[in-house]
Amino acid sequence: MKRKTILICLIALLAIMPMGMAQADGHCEFADYTITIGGLAPLSAPGAVAGGVAMDWAFNQAADDINADCGVQIDGVNYMLDVVTGDSEGSPERGQAVTERLIQEDGVDAMVGVYHSAVGLATMGMLEANAIPTVFSEPWNDNVSANGILEYDGAPPRFADGIDHIFRISPASSMVGSVVVDWLLSLGVEDVVLIVENTDYGQPAAADEAERFEAAGATVTKIDVELGTEDFVPILSRIQARAEAPDVIRILVTGETSFNLTQQMSELGIAPSEDTICVTNQIAFQSDQYWATVPDGNYCAFNRVGIIPSLFSEAAAELNGKYEEAWGDLIPSFAMASYDAVYIVKDAMERAGSYDDAAAIVGAIEAVDIELSQGRYYFAYGAHNPDLPEGTPEFMWHQWPDPIVTVMQYYEPGQSGLEAAVVYPEVYQTHGTSYIVPGTTP
Amino acid sequence: MVIQDTLFVLWLMVAGPLWAAVGLFLLPNVNRGRKNEDLIPATTLKIAGVIGGFALGPVGLGLFYFEPTLIRRTTLTIGVVLTVFVTSQVMVRVVDPHFPSALWLLLAGPLWAALAAYFIPRHYRDEEADDQNVLTAAALGGFAIGPLIFGLMWKTTPKINRDWMIILGSLGAWQIYTLFAIQNPTNPCVQAPFSVTYLTQQTANGVVIGCIYSLMAVGLTLIYSVQGIVSFAHGQLYMVGGYFSFYFLLHAGNLLSELTGTEVQVNPIWGIPVAAAIVFLMGAVFERFFLKPMHEGLIERVSEYAILITFGFGFVIEYTTLAVAGPFPQRTDRFIDIRRFTLQRTQITDDFAFGPINIIGDRAFAMVVGIILIFALLYFLQRTWTGRALRATSQDRQAAAVTGINPTNMNTLSFGMGSMLAAMSGAALIPIFAWVPWVGAEMVGRSYVIVVLGGLGSVPGALVGGIVVGIVEALGAGCHPDPSRGAAYKEAFALVIFALVLLLKPTGLFGREQL
Repeated sequence: MKRKTILICLIALLAIMPMGMAQADGHCEFADYTITIGGLAPLSAPGAVAGGVAMDWAFNQAADDINADCGVQIDGVNYMLDVVTGDSEGSPERGQAVTERLIQEDGVDAMVGVYHSAVGLATMGMLEANAIPTVFSEPWNDNVSANGILEYDGAPPRFADGIDHIFRISPASSMVGSVVVDWLLSLGVEDVVLIVENTDYGQPAAADEAERFEAAGATVTKIDVELGTEDFVPILSRIQARAEAPDVIRILVTGETSFNLTQQMSELGIAPSEDTICVTNQIAFQSDQYWATVPDGNYCAFNRVGIIPSLFSEAAAELNGKYEEAWGDLIPSFAMASYDAVYIVKDAMERAGSYDDAAAIVGAIEAVDIELSQGRYYFAYGAHNPDLPEGTPEFMWHQWPDPIVTVMQYYEPGQSGLEAAVVYPEVYQTHGTSYIVPGTTP
Repeated sequence: MVIQDTLFVLWLMVAGPLWAAVGLFLLPNVNRGRKNEDLIPATTLKIAGVIGGFALGPVGLGLFYFEPTLIRRTTLTIGVVLTVFVTSQVMVRVVDPHFPSALWLLLAGPLWAALAAYFIPRHYRDEEADDQNVLTAAALGGFAIGPLIFGLMWKTTPKINRDWMIILGSLGAWQIYTLFAIQNPTNPCVQAPFSVTYLTQQTANGVVIGCIYSLMAVGLTLIYSVQGIVSFAHGQLYMVGGYFSFYFLLHAGNLLSELTGTEVQVNPIWGIPVAAAIVFLMGAVFERFFLKPMHEGLIERVSEYAILITFGFGFVIEYTTLAVAGPFPQRTDRFIDIRRFTLQRTQITDDFAFGPINIIGDRAFAMVVGIILIFALLYFLQRTWTGRALRATSQDRQAAAVTGINPTNMNTLSFGMGSMLAAMSGAALIPIFAWVPWVGAEMVGRSYVIVVLGGLGSVPGALVGGIVVGIVEALGAGCHPDPSRGAAYKEAFALVIFALVLLLKPTGLFGREQL
């Protein structure tokens, strides 16, 4: 009799499970529905594949961590979270096609990611049209966030349904440019060479920096290059042939292309040198990759976006540890941002009490106030606070205002990115100097 | 004067196109009322209308309309010359004051080149003279010395040898340089005496990288000449050669370090034979399994099959490498511990100093490796029995088989060797460039250009083609009038040369179909 009762109970339990909490994972019980977030990252050439792979890792790591903590909890129900990464290949048209697929076929509830600005700009319209709450974690083009109010002469936002679904937690180019330019001007540079990739990231960033330099009276020479180019010697020889060496060569080029450029510049003795400061791409912070491919790149400075290693919170250090375990290198800022982006969406869905009410989720993201690996996230301007004060740039709309932008500099060959000196802004300086002259130690 | 100029320009800019449009509609009416046998083709009339109207306005139209017998090749040619003149006058006044001196080069040069390329080869054929290279010589000559080329070639129809080509080509290059110098007086390539050093530096840059390009292209040409197919996996074989070298050096270094107890770094030169051996095997095995059926008549659409199967092979290599090696860039140690070779500045006269010239150490080393390997290949092809067998197969497979050569083995050997050359090129370049699984994409496109430029099937052609492409890219990027765009157009410069060679000498510089 007892055995029969147990059997009936078991059958009844099995019958009930599909109707409610069907999935169980350790200590948590999950609802049938799995919340799907679309991730967009370049996983194939010509995109910045190394960046895309790091972002993909971060999306999945965030999903794993969230699911290990009982997923997205909405009204007392746990929902498993899944991130489906689409390969943008760094190309706008491919990015659009993949976004379309993520929205139409995978039925994503929200989107995160995007590395290349061109992809971000190309997919924004689709994301708005399909009302997909989106947190971009790496595109820098100013218009990625400013688009919410640009060309709109009424009350923002300007979209048909009255909602701007796009948020950004990476810095705008102008935010990065202003720090680097301020630093270089403080060092007294007057003759600047900008080597710029021919993309929606490079060109606007160069235009912004050139404007700032010229406003301060410096002369600027801009040289465009195509991503994927390997041999830069002819154009570097042209720089070398100038009567006067430039004061600085600033590289606004991403990925391995920047490594080739920096190394060839160093090999030819152009920069870093006594006369010329070398400022390379932020990817130089990935010290293993940097020293493997730029062995002569000592004393090059680079802009670093994201929290500086000495200020790593416990969450940041833990995430960095996981990344190092997976890839054997320091975690790049865009991987941290991608990880945080998933958490921001999760947090917003929980506070909105819905995974599919786009308006409620957008409202919740606007009101976000959460401490994650890169610091405290909030959005100063959006529908909740639509009036940008006079002088506030338009890209501050739906833009996380506090990404930390610093300038770091290596001063020993093979040095870890964690040990590189922070030279600017002064408040973050780690070695008491704003520039380490080649051949010296701080 | 200003008013006169303005009126003149207005007339040229507005009235010329206006009368051309009138002519376009008016002249076809000439055929009205004519018998069928007297009809002038409508297209000819339209062309005459446009040219006559633009060049001479109502006068030209009147002449052609009332006297249609004037519509001949000669008069139309005169009309074209007048049109060029008229356009140039607008350019002189509107665009650039330097224009008069550049006019001949920019407009008349190409015009005479086209006329010479059209008429002179026909004249040679009419005279039953040897017309080899005449088209190229006529075009070059027309560009370089204008109508004088007719004087040189029309009367005596001389045999065009290499000396003719070199002299006319040099004159053409000088014309372009002169035009360039007039238009860009501050460009580092024309600012004498400094330009001597600068041009030498850029030429050296081009030669160094060009020799390295050649090594990869030679592999393609070897495969093409024996098998008659273009390998679309060549870029990936180049890439994977670099990775084999990288992993060999890494593991060999670790092993030796463990054995000796001190840190040992293996020189990347040792990675070259290792990569060569592995990729040779890969290529040979691939050929045996996937290309051999093609030569046995088992495949219906051979050309398409060859494209697809080699493309697929490349795809598999690239994505397998991505899965195994990851996307993060790699690089091996240096070949030599010299960052750059510098030829120091030397004061030649009071006004003229030569130097400094810088060549990156590892590139110079890779160049030497590339040249040695190409000459070794030439020796192999010319002096060994197997090399001769390969050449024989490339010339006539059936005849080669009759003499006891096994064409199937030669196919395998050629694909293996072609793949091996790509891999050696990769292993020679991994100390120079950041290496990623898609690094072959840029290089392979350039290789196709080099192979066609040098002449499909020619090993010396691939060497010369590589150097030409290297120099053209270096000078193009280094001398581009707009420094901001020079680097961005680097690959395009080689394509321009490529297009010109295809137009003037479709077989390439040393073109032939056999090795």
